Amino acid sequence: MIRLPDRKGRFGIYGGKFAPETLMAPIEQLENAYFSIGRSRQFRKEFSYYLKQYVGRPTPLYFASNLSEIISCKVYLKREDLAFTGAHKINNTVGQVLLAKKMGKTRVIAETGAGQHGVATATAAALFKMKCEIYMGEVDMQRQALNVYRMKLLGAKVTCVKSGSRTLKDAINEAMRDWISSFKDTHYVIGTVVGFHPFPVMVRDFQSVIGKEAKKQILKAEGRLPDFLIACVGGGSNSMGLFFPFFRNKNVKFIGVEAAGKGIDTDFHAATLCRGTPGILHGNFSYVLQDKEGQIHPTHSVSAGLDYPGIGPEHSYYKDTGRAEYYAATDQQVLKAFHILSEAEGIIPALESSHALAYMIENKNRFKQDDIVIVCLSGRGDKDVNEVARIEGIPL
Amino acid sequence: MKISESFKNLKKQNKTGLIIYITAGCPDIAFTEEFAEKLQDVGVDMIELGVPFSDPIADGPVIQQASQKALENRTNLESILKLCQRLKQRMNIPYLLMSYYNPVYRYGLEKFAADCSVAGVAGLIVPDVPFEESQPLNDHLKKYDIDLILFISSTTSEKRRKKILKFGSGFIYYIAVHGVTGVRDTLPEYIYEDVSSLRRQSKIPIAVGFGISNQKQLYRLKGCADAVIIGSYVMKEIMSGNYAHLLETLNSFNEVLKSD
Repeated sequence: MIRLPDRKGRFGIYGGKFAPETLMAPIEQLENAYFSIGRSRQFRKEFSYYLKQYVGRPTPLYFASNLSEIISCKVYLKREDLAFTGAHKINNTVGQVLLAKKMGKTRVIAETGAGQHGVATATAAALFKMKCEIYMGEVDMQRQALNVYRMKLLGAKVTCVKSGSRTLKDAINEAMRDWISSFKDTHYVIGTVVGFHPFPVMVRDFQSVIGKEAKKQILKAEGRLPDFLIACVGGGSNSMGLFFPFFRNKNVKFIGVEAAGKGIDTDFHAATLCRGTPGILHGNFSYVLQDKEGQIHPTHSVSAGLDYPGIGPEHSYYKDTGRAEYYAATDQQVLKAFHILSEAEGIIPALESSHALAYMIENKNRFKQDDIVIVCLSGRGDKDVNEVARIEGIPL
Repeated sequence: MKISESFKNLKKQNKTGLIIYITAGCPDIAFTEEFAEKLQDVGVDMIELGVPFSDPIADGPVIQQASQKALENRTNLESILKLCQRLKQRMNIPYLLMSYYNPVYRYGLEKFAADCSVAGVAGLIVPDVPFEESQPLNDHLKKYDIDLILFISSTTSEKRRKKILKFGSGFIYYIAVHGVTGVRDTLPEYIYEDVSSLRRQSKIPIAVGFGISNQKQLYRLKGCADAVIIGSYVMKEIMSGNYAHLLETLNSFNEVLKSD
């Protein structure tokens, strides 16, 4: 069995290190630090301590009996919405900021779309006494105003990005530009499994706690492995975190659900794996939403966290090898799922996570009575309540 | 003209070269075409034509804005290569393309190299392709004798410098600042020594770029580097419409670099 990624950071043909020369030294430094310190027993012990005592892990694997009745199979929800700060993002930021601290960095920067990764980075920065600056697109700042204020409360500086489409992709551009001049004292906390090697593998490893716990929990509850894992896919960190520990369990099917926005046949979606073609964006070779001239497409999704034209290279590898299947759910299907889970289980899901639920609801017939399905409930929906009310024309 | 030939002439006369970057298609392709000739008339040694990209991570606000403008005009590799084709008859200095990797990759590496060759493009600069990822692209360019320009920054380790110097062709693009492209008043003090020592080790010329915008910097770089590259300053002036003044300034810059 070949270990992936290889030493060049490749997952099959995908991945790599397409970085400006100035960043090659800090990237090498990070690579060395991650593979020595980051994978040491001592580091993992400390990381586990914070995940348990600070983040509140393990998160429950909840048997959703009411939803199970609706779908007619056994549905378990991996409750990442119950992780501290309300989403899976904190797993990665605690890992990266702890590593940055050990590397002697004093400042961290990050991009954010929905604001969850920004909040999670600001939180970890406060915990480990680091200066923190978050880049956020102007459009996202408007639709996630509450999270902007949360980051400020946590002591972070929030910088508004007004270039390009003014969403997540442009926030990443701006954070990378910051890092090109600030790397001496600054670590760039990428929020998902994208970017130059070693970011995709490092973020995957930090998020793998989701799948490792789920595996133990389902074996305890059911005495066997699940038939399906379903998760939403933007950049792909919660899905990869759930999938990866099951990689060798070939009977466990992986389903990733992207944002179809107004429909994947329109110009308004963010379904990179369903509709993209291979290209180079943000430091790696992977599927990209682009035009025939190689310019990156603007994207659309009701959920800011999935509004991204790229995808982690490991997902591109999973797609091409058939290890995972990828579909897309429209904004409309997502809003329907958002309401169904809220009413059926008393759990308001994030719009991102609602994509995974939407796939299951729209494809009920695929699942048999005895099938065990684990859905990653990657985040809670409190942050989306205002936006959903606005879309549905309900004055608050 | 080949890049190596241009540098050979500079060396013979013991002069420092001036390389000017302009974003192709900003404000439009017709302007770029006309301005390239004017740059040649002013005595510029080489021209870099920037291919606009939607996500230029190594560029500061000026070149981002210029790229945006060029994209709004639907400038693409095809129209830029056509422009190069037209310039071929009239240019007797080398012209290079500078592009992020994705537009080139999407165009097709083999077709790109072949079309560049027909259009007389002497070299290619790709800011998001470090040495480690350069082989597929370089294999195609080599077939057509087109130089792939590699970068070195003050942060580049000794081990990597050796490899880059060994495989580099045309010239080495030395990045003068820790940061993105853009106008700066001064350059970090340590780079002059770094460039000199690099030049002693290198069999190909060293051109210094990023942040260069005034005569003071040029006096320091003259004789220290083989050439200097100016981009953001030029695009800033072009976007504010100061063409005549810009050409005068570039003329005076060149006088500094060519003075004894």
